[in-house]
Amino acid sequence: MWDSRSRFATTLIIIGCLVAAGCLVSARNKSFFGQTDPPRENILRYVSGSEPESIDPQIPNNQNEARISLALFEGLAEYDPKTSEPVPALAERWEVNKDWSEVVFYLRRDGRFSNGDPITARDFVYTIRRGLTPEVGSRSASLAYPIKYAQAFNEGGVFVYDPAAKTFLLEKDFVENADQAKAVAPISSASPDKNPAPPAANALADSEFHRFMQEPARLVLPGSEKARKAALEANPKIKAAITGKQFVPVKADDVGVEAVDDYMFRISLMQPAPYFISMMPHQFFRAVHQKTIEKFGNRWTDTNNIVTSGAFKLDSWNHYDRIVVSRNPHYWDAANVHLDKIIFYLLDSNTTMLSLYKSGGLDATYNHTVPSAWLDVIGPMKDFMDASEAAIDYYNFNTTSGPTKDVRVRKALNMSLDKKALADWRHVRPLTSIIPDGIFPGYPHPNGDPFDPEKAKRLLAEAGYRDASGNFDPQKFEASEIELIVNPDSNNVPYAEFIQAQWKQNLGATIAIRIMENKTFFKAATNLDYKGVSRTGWAADYLDPFTFLSIFYTPRGSNGTGWWDPKYVELLDRANRMTDHQKRYEMLAQAEQIMLDAQPVIPLTVGTTRWMKKPYVKGLYPNPVTLHSWKAVYIERDPGKWDYGMPDMSK
Amino acid sequence: MGLWNARYEQVTEPGRHLTNQPMARFIIRRVVVIIPMLFIVISLTWALVRLAPGNFYSGEKKLAVGVEANLREKYGLDKPWYVQYGKVLKNIARLDFGTSLKYEGQSVNQILWRALPVSAALGVSAYIIALIVGIVAGTFSALKPYSWIDYSSMTLAMLGISIPNFVLGPLLVLLFSLTLFWFPPALWDGFPSRSLVLPALTLAAIYIAYVARLTRSGMLEIMRSDYIRTARAKGLSEGQVVMRHAMRGGLLPVVSFSGPALAFLITGTVVVEKVFALPGLGNYFINACFNRDEPLIIGIVAFIAITVLVFNLLVDIAYGFIDPRIRYA
Repeated sequence: MWDSRSRFATTLIIIGCLVAAGCLVSARNKSFFGQTDPPRENILRYVSGSEPESIDPQIPNNQNEARISLALFEGLAEYDPKTSEPVPALAERWEVNKDWSEVVFYLRRDGRFSNGDPITARDFVYTIRRGLTPEVGSRSASLAYPIKYAQAFNEGGVFVYDPAAKTFLLEKDFVENADQAKAVAPISSASPDKNPAPPAANALADSEFHRFMQEPARLVLPGSEKARKAALEANPKIKAAITGKQFVPVKADDVGVEAVDDYMFRISLMQPAPYFISMMPHQFFRAVHQKTIEKFGNRWTDTNNIVTSGAFKLDSWNHYDRIVVSRNPHYWDAANVHLDKIIFYLLDSNTTMLSLYKSGGLDATYNHTVPSAWLDVIGPMKDFMDASEAAIDYYNFNTTSGPTKDVRVRKALNMSLDKKALADWRHVRPLTSIIPDGIFPGYPHPNGDPFDPEKAKRLLAEAGYRDASGNFDPQKFEASEIELIVNPDSNNVPYAEFIQAQWKQNLGATIAIRIMENKTFFKAATNLDYKGVSRTGWAADYLDPFTFLSIFYTPRGSNGTGWWDPKYVELLDRANRMTDHQKRYEMLAQAEQIMLDAQPVIPLTVGTTRWMKKPYVKGLYPNPVTLHSWKAVYIERDPGKWDYGMPDMSK
Repeated sequence: MGLWNARYEQVTEPGRHLTNQPMARFIIRRVVVIIPMLFIVISLTWALVRLAPGNFYSGEKKLAVGVEANLREKYGLDKPWYVQYGKVLKNIARLDFGTSLKYEGQSVNQILWRALPVSAALGVSAYIIALIVGIVAGTFSALKPYSWIDYSSMTLAMLGISIPNFVLGPLLVLLFSLTLFWFPPALWDGFPSRSLVLPALTLAAIYIAYVARLTRSGMLEIMRSDYIRTARAKGLSEGQVVMRHAMRGGLLPVVSFSGPALAFLITGTVVVEKVFALPGLGNYFINACFNRDEPLIIGIVAFIAITVLVFNLLVDIAYGFIDPRIRYA
C-alpha cells in the first residue's frame, strides 16, 4: 500500500522534473525562442487573430481582418513596410489641389483583378460608393466621410429642392457654424498657403459632375421623418425655409468620386483633410470587383466566387482554423511577390500561439502577443520585435457628473500618478499628452502635467477637500464616488491595480476597481454610465496626428468623456485647412494643449509592438501600425543573412 | 416524477420482457415532451441574450452614429422585440436558425454542420478512450480491491476528477509538445491525426476517472451477489464469470452515465477547443456569447438541447436491452 503511493509520488516527481527541465532548456537558449528551422516550402505561416467577421475588406473594421485584406486586396496606396506611410500602389501618383478640395489619383495601367480584369478608375468609384451604401453596413464607412456628400449618403440624408427657384438650398445659408462640429469652410477662403501644390488636372478634366462638386455644399437633412423633425425643431431658420420644398434623397451618384477617364480618379472633399492620403491604404478603400459582388451578393467572398485585387488570391478558408492565400498571377507586380503562399492561422490566444511559435509551427505573430509577464524571458531574445507603436493607453474621465466634473480633481488624479514607474514596470514608455512621440517627426508635442503629488493635493484642497487648516484631507475626498472601470482583456487589470495603488500611496484615497465583461463595459463607457474613470486606448487608423485628435472632434462616438469644446474643433479645422505641413502641426499641437488643459483623460503609456518573428523571415518590420505589405516578405534560407535582432528600419 | 429522468421500475417476476407496445408509447411520449422543452430553452436563451448589455458590433472602437444606425437597420434590430422574437421562433420551427450577425453572410446551419464533425471527432475519441481505460481500470480495481492496482488507479482517478482541463491541457502541451516535440501544441489537422491526441486525452481525463470509479463500485457490488456465486458454482472460469455475468450488471451505472456523457463530450468541449484552438462547436459557442451573436447562440443552444434530450432517450431504451429486470411503463 505504501509502496503504491511512493511509486505514484515518484512518477509525479519525474513528470515535474521533465517539465522543469523543459522550462530550463528554453530559458537557457538565450538567442531565439524555440526552433529556428525554416519551412521547407516558400510559405509564410502567420497568425492573424480571431476568426474574421468577413474577408470583404469593406465590412469589418478590426486588425485581424485587415491583416488578411492586405494580402487579398490592394488600394490606391499601400503602407510602407517600415514607416507605415502611404506609398503608391494601384495609383502611380496623386495630386492635391491648392485648397485641399480635390485629390486626383493617376492609376497604373497594368492593374489587374485576380480574374484578369483591368482595374480602372471606375472600379474605385464603385468601391467607394458601395462601401458607403447603408445596406452594406460597413463598420468603417465613417473613414470616407471627408468625401463630399459621403456622410449624407451613408446616413440616408436628403437634399432640399426648391421647385420654384429650381435650385437646392445651400448649407452656408443655414448653418451658423458649429455647435455640431461640422464647420464648413467656404473653400475660397482657405488660408493662404506658401507651398502650392501643382495645379490639379484641371480644365480638360472639367465635367458636369465636377461643376456640381465645385458648387457650394447643399443643405442636407436627415432622411427619416422623425430625425428630420428633431433637426428642424433645433433650427427654426431651416424649418421656415423648407415649406413648399421637396426632399431629394442623396444618392450614390452624388458622392464626390469620379472617374475622369479610365486611369484618372478624382475625389472631391467636403472640407480640407490633409490626413486623407494617409487613409488610402486602409482596407475600406481597397478595390473590390463589381461584377462578382453583383452576381453573388453577400456570398461573393466564398472561396469559389471571390475575385481579389491584391498580390494574393484566396485558396481556402477553414473557419476558426486557417485561411490560405496563394500568389495572384494577374497581380501587376507579381514578379516581385516572393512567397508562394501565406497561411493565416485564425487564433487569438497568446499562450497557444507562442507555443506554436516555439515548436516551429508559426513563423511570426502579430502585435501585443507577448504577455508582459513573459517579457523577462523573451525580452532579451533576438526574435522579439519591440518598437514604438502608433497606439496609446489612457483613461477617460466622466466629466459630466460626480467629483470628476471638477477639472481640479481630474488634474489631481492625473498628477498623482507616476507614469514612469508604470511604464518601467510594463516595459513600455510613459505618455503625458495624447499623441505618441517618435511617430510624427516635427510634431511639437505639448507637455502634459508632470508627476507632482504635492500639487495634486493642493488642487484637491482647493476643490474643497480640506481640513480646518486648509490642507488636503483624504477623509473628506469622496473616493467612494469615483470608480475605475476596466474590461478584463490583456493587461488592463494589472494596469488598474498599479494605478489604484499609486492613488492610495500618493493621495491616501482608495478608489475601487470594477472589472466588467467586455460588452457590458463598452456600453457603460460609451454612454458615460460610470462614476469617475474608465479605461480605454486608441490605435491609429491612419498615420497622422489627427487620428488621435479626432477622438474628441465630436461629443459622441469615440469621445467617451463628455468633454467637448468648440474652440478645440475650430483649431483643428483651421489646422486642416493649412497646407504648410509644419504650421499645421503647430496648430494641431495648440488644439492638443487645449484638450490637455481641460484634462478629460489620463494619458498613461505609449504602446510598443511586442511580437515575434523567426530570424529567417525577412521583409517583416516592426512598423507603427503592425500591418505588413505581404509582397515584400520572403523566407531567407542562408543563416548568414538572417536577422539577429530587430531588422534595419532605416529606409 | 421527473419527466426527463430515466423512468424505469424494477420488477421481480422473471420473463416479463418488454413488448413493442409500451416501448413505442414510451418513445412517442418522450419525443412529444422534447418540443415544449425546446421552446422553453430557446425562449430563455433569447431573453438572456437580450438582457445582456452590448451588441454584436459594440467594441473598443466606437462606430460613427450613422454607421451604427445602418447596422441596426440591416439586421432588423430597429424592430420591436416581439417582431424579432417571432422571427426567431418562426425560423426554428423550420429548423433554419438564420444568419450569423457577426460573420457576414454565413448561416447558422452552415456553421453547425461544419463545427459538429470536429467536436464529434474529438468527443467520440475521448469517449472511446474514457470507456476503454475507465472500464479496464475499474474492473481490475474491483477484482483486486485494496491492492496496489486498486490504489494507484483510484488515486489517478481522483487526480483526473480534481485537475481541471484548462490546467491539464497546457501541462500536456508543455510536456509532449514543447519539451518532447511529439505532438503539435494546437490546431486541427483533420481526423484522424496526431493533432487529436492531446485534446482527446485532456478531454477524456475526467471521464476516465468517473467511468473507473463507477465500474469499480458497480462491479464490487455485483461480485458479491448470489447469481455470481451460482455462476461460479456451475464451474465457470473466473474470466467467464466476469465477462458474461458480472459485467452485464456491473456496468449498468456506466451505461446510464455514458449516454449523457457522450452528449456532453460532443457538446461540452468548450475549454479544450479553446486551449487547443480547434474549430469545433464549443469554440464557436463561447465566441458567439462574447460577440452577442444572437442567432448563433440560439442555434447552438438548441442543438445542444436536442442532442442531450435524444441521448437521454437512447440510454433509457438501452437499459432494457442490457438489464432484463427493467421494463418500460
